Amino acid sequence: MPVVAISVNRINSLLGQSYDIKKLVTTMQQLGCDVEDTVRISLYTCTFCNAPLEKLEKEDPPKRCDFCGNESETPFPHFSTDNAIRIDLLADRPDLFDPGGLARALKGYLGLAEGLSEYPVKGASVEVEVNPSLLQPESYRPFIVCAVVNMPVLDHNGLREIMKLQENLHWGIGRDRKLASIGVYDMAAITPPIRYRSVDPVGFSFTPLGMPGKSMSPRQILEEHPKGVAYAHLLSNLKAYPLLIDSKDQVLSMPPIINSEETKVSIGSQKLFIDVTGLTRDAVTKSLDTLVCSLAELGGEVEAVKIKHPEAEQTTPDLNPRAIIIQYKEAKKWLGLDFTEEECMGYLRKMRLSVTHKGDDAYEVHYPAFRTDVRHEVDIFEDLAIGYGYANIPTRLVPSMTVGKARGEELLSHTVREIMIGLGFTEIMSLNLMSEERHFQKFRLAPDDSGVVVANPKTIEQAVIRGHMMTGIMETFHKNRRKATPQKIFELGNVIRFNPKKETCTEENRHAAFAIIGPETGYAEGRAVLDSILREIGRCGTYHPAHHPSFCEGRCAHVTGENDLWAILGELHPEVLNNFGLAYPVTLCELRLMGVI
Amino acid sequence: MKITITEDQSQILHFLHKGQGPFTISEVSEKTGVDQAHVMGFLTFAKEKGWILLEERPKEEIVPSPEAAEHLLKGVPERQMLPLLAKEPSLPMKKVASEAKDLGIPVNEIIKWGSLRGWIEKKKGDLSITKAGREGIERKDDDERALELAIAHKVTYLDELSRHGIDSERVKKLLNNRSSLAKIKPRIIRFVHLTQEGRNALNEVKVKKERNVLSSEDITSGEWRSVELRSYDVTLEAEKAYPAKIHPLQKILQQTRRAFLEMGFTEIVSPQVESAFWDFDALFQPQDHPARDMQDTFYLKHPVEAKLPHADIVEKVKQTHENGWETGSTGWGYQWSQERARHLVLRTHTTASTIRALAEDPNPPRKVFCVGRVYRNEAISYKHLPEFHQVDGIIIDEESSLATLLGTLTVFYQKMGFEKVKFKPDFFPYTEPSAEVSVWMPQREGWIELGGCGIYRPEVTHPFGCRFPVMAWGLGLERLAMLRYGFHDIRELYWSDLDNIKEVALCQ
Repeated sequence: MPVVAISVNRINSLLGQSYDIKKLVTTMQQLGCDVEDTVRISLYTCTFCNAPLEKLEKEDPPKRCDFCGNESETPFPHFSTDNAIRIDLLADRPDLFDPGGLARALKGYLGLAEGLSEYPVKGASVEVEVNPSLLQPESYRPFIVCAVVNMPVLDHNGLREIMKLQENLHWGIGRDRKLASIGVYDMAAITPPIRYRSVDPVGFSFTPLGMPGKSMSPRQILEEHPKGVAYAHLLSNLKAYPLLIDSKDQVLSMPPIINSEETKVSIGSQKLFIDVTGLTRDAVTKSLDTLVCSLAELGGEVEAVKIKHPEAEQTTPDLNPRAIIIQYKEAKKWLGLDFTEEECMGYLRKMRLSVTHKGDDAYEVHYPAFRTDVRHEVDIFEDLAIGYGYANIPTRLVPSMTVGKARGEELLSHTVREIMIGLGFTEIMSLNLMSEERHFQKFRLAPDDSGVVVANPKTIEQAVIRGHMMTGIMETFHKNRRKATPQKIFELGNVIRFNPKKETCTEENRHAAFAIIGPETGYAEGRAVLDSILREIGRCGTYHPAHHPSFCEGRCAHVTGENDLWAILGELHPEVLNNFGLAYPVTLCELRLMGVI
Repeated sequence: MKITITEDQSQILHFLHKGQGPFTISEVSEKTGVDQAHVMGFLTFAKEKGWILLEERPKEEIVPSPEAAEHLLKGVPERQMLPLLAKEPSLPMKKVASEAKDLGIPVNEIIKWGSLRGWIEKKKGDLSITKAGREGIERKDDDERALELAIAHKVTYLDELSRHGIDSERVKKLLNNRSSLAKIKPRIIRFVHLTQEGRNALNEVKVKKERNVLSSEDITSGEWRSVELRSYDVTLEAEKAYPAKIHPLQKILQQTRRAFLEMGFTEIVSPQVESAFWDFDALFQPQDHPARDMQDTFYLKHPVEAKLPHADIVEKVKQTHENGWETGSTGWGYQWSQERARHLVLRTHTTASTIRALAEDPNPPRKVFCVGRVYRNEAISYKHLPEFHQVDGIIIDEESSLATLLGTLTVFYQKMGFEKVKFKPDFFPYTEPSAEVSVWMPQREGWIELGGCGIYRPEVTHPFGCRFPVMAWGLGLERLAMLRYGFHDIRELYWSDLDNIKEVALCQ
């Protein structure tokens, strides 16, 4: 999860107050922010694209720019230092990603403002024409929404905040630019109308951000530009690439990869053009609304953009508040809290929502456009609970009486654990996932269809799930091979095997495995232990000579009995001992206790 | 009443009686074979009884230097020069110096100690040998003989030298201030004299048999009555012994189970190999949710697909995802795919168990919990493992609410030994509202986040016919174990170092 450092001075200036850092941290936590810590941060400027970069004061100055991807030989120049609160971003609340959004919420919680924050949108003067090719599979990126925002002249901090928010929205909503990617441009460099079309990978070129004076074709960008290399996979299925270009053929950007150098936003920019393109309507709309509303909190004035699709027209952004009806009594029941209708309305207003009584129990709640998470009245109940304050909730238990009941395999495991510990065996635990080699080959076994195989492990160490418990036992012996012998260990756990008759095509059984390593151990010792387990748990087994590749021939038994009793017991094959780097014989037994799934 | 002493003690009395005393304490110990500490202990007792007198005598001990033996072998420096001096009536100092240099001995030592012995004379810068010096060539001086004795025996006192015909006064004169050969150290030596009472006591005391171990015969025959067990120093440390024991993580799992059982919960299980339907779809997680990515979730190559539940249930879940169905929600607004719901995954949370339990019986009051293994497609590091344990639980109750949810978890963590529990808002896709649970760790003086909880969204519960708020939580258990046992690497929990398991006390 990205961590952002929120400047204390910046927040206080947006709040028009001078709260101390502690008060701000506590309030942010009450709002649900995941505050990591408080730090001193240093700010630097990228010498290629002028983007402001942030590092902890104690860290080395950056040489690589997060925004244009360029790397410098000397560290970027430093321009200021600040106190900051670092928060772990929660993907579900992009409205709390940046100082603008946080200030909006804090104002309500601190009693500086209440009710809905309204963001007027001026009529559209800029048009964007969408070419039908964007709907075709060869160049598919069909959704686009845009806005124009008139900002107070951008300084270093303003520029940094916009870029950080853009980057974090890419993470939080855009799924790393896949579902939605945002472009922000200096309107002064653009001549509307703007066209959203597709372009061939070669035979056309423009100057990408961070490489002034270097005109590159789309293909070159994907192969050579740092950001192109990083995001080329998003275009790998396309034959032609999306492009935003103005009426004078000035390229704005090649979404979702890179903007052009000429239209970039820099210190002193004022009027911004913003586009969000992507693969789902929800993601592009939410990204734009969140970004634009945060800019409005920072003092921006929003202007609409007319999007001309081949068959329809749309004006974006639509920042009109949305409405939902909630039931007062239902809210009280859901939260288990006792509050009056007045208090209820107060908590909602504190959460920057507006609310009107609609008769009886019903209240109409208006919420801002960017709150696309609201699907049900319970979403508003959450705001109500936060407004009430989690710390203030009087907690209690449900009054109904129920009788506890443990699972059979757990009760049996408990008995077996007592037996094993009584016999001087120490319990171990091991992982269920392992490589095929550790599960099969090291035991002289061949993989078969009874196994459960993972499709997408990050490493071969998570390739299969265990169908026997010998690996954990033997790896524990390996790990403890330099310690005194004999060692006596056991493990209790589930093994999982393919079974097409089951709902999930697998069955799970609770197994117990025990083993002894040492110069004196042998079959007889294992047999005595297994007999003792079976006697104590009231089972009865018949021993049959068995041929098992993992065990010494003639020193291995297969045990069967009523109720599906199954066990294997024997002295492990010397080759298996070699495979685990062990110098003494091992007697091992694995016993099925009962079926679980 | 007769005084009882041990066999060892009796032996000491007899030794003192028979021998030509007085004896030093170390002599007594050496000759009787009784440990010196025990000898001292008995003598203190015997002195109180008037059986012995302890006489303290100041003595002077000759303590040879570590190099003394080598010096004697080569001859002390002044002795080495004698043969040369004996050849000439006198030698100029210059010549003596150069000869001493060739022999590797300091010339000043020759002059100093040779003069003191009376072996040489110095006249006008010339050195000559005396009569005593000539005699000395063939005869060892007193100090040399005394040193030989001291090196051969352990302890040699000045006043005992006369026995060997050595002049102790001369030895003292020659060895004083010659630390390269020896030091003369003052000592207080205690001598044991047996008194008349002591001699009488020999006939009067009762001697008790002593044993280190009682034999079976000693016990059954009653012999133990006349036998004394030697006492031990019970303050000494013993070798470490450890019981075989439960694995520390397992202990946390069992403690967790017990806590919920005590709170009236029914324990449940569900498959570790789970369908995407129960792991995600039933929990209203949209099919394009990042948690469902191959990056985060283990999908299976064999087997690949699960059977879905009853078509009616599947349809309701589909509708809920697409348009909210009858839940009062807008849904996610996308086309739900049955095929994707059929995919088998390694369950990413034990919430799959609780939602199954809810589907099986949605009627209140119900309290169920599941402790089990869950899987995330993560690389192994000191912080992360691709599999770990969670406890999930739900309560279906007419009185279920956020307030009772927080109350339930507060009680649970108090049962786990944490006095202070706090909650802050959090956001999860299938609960609303949601909270994060933290507990206060006094050892760390900080709040530690241990899990999430919330009330299931109606989109989760309604398709299964449940119309009551359902309280749900999922809490990680490895972190709890690591904090409690002070492990810094999560792998320590699964790569069992048997010594580590031994060291974790059961009370921890």
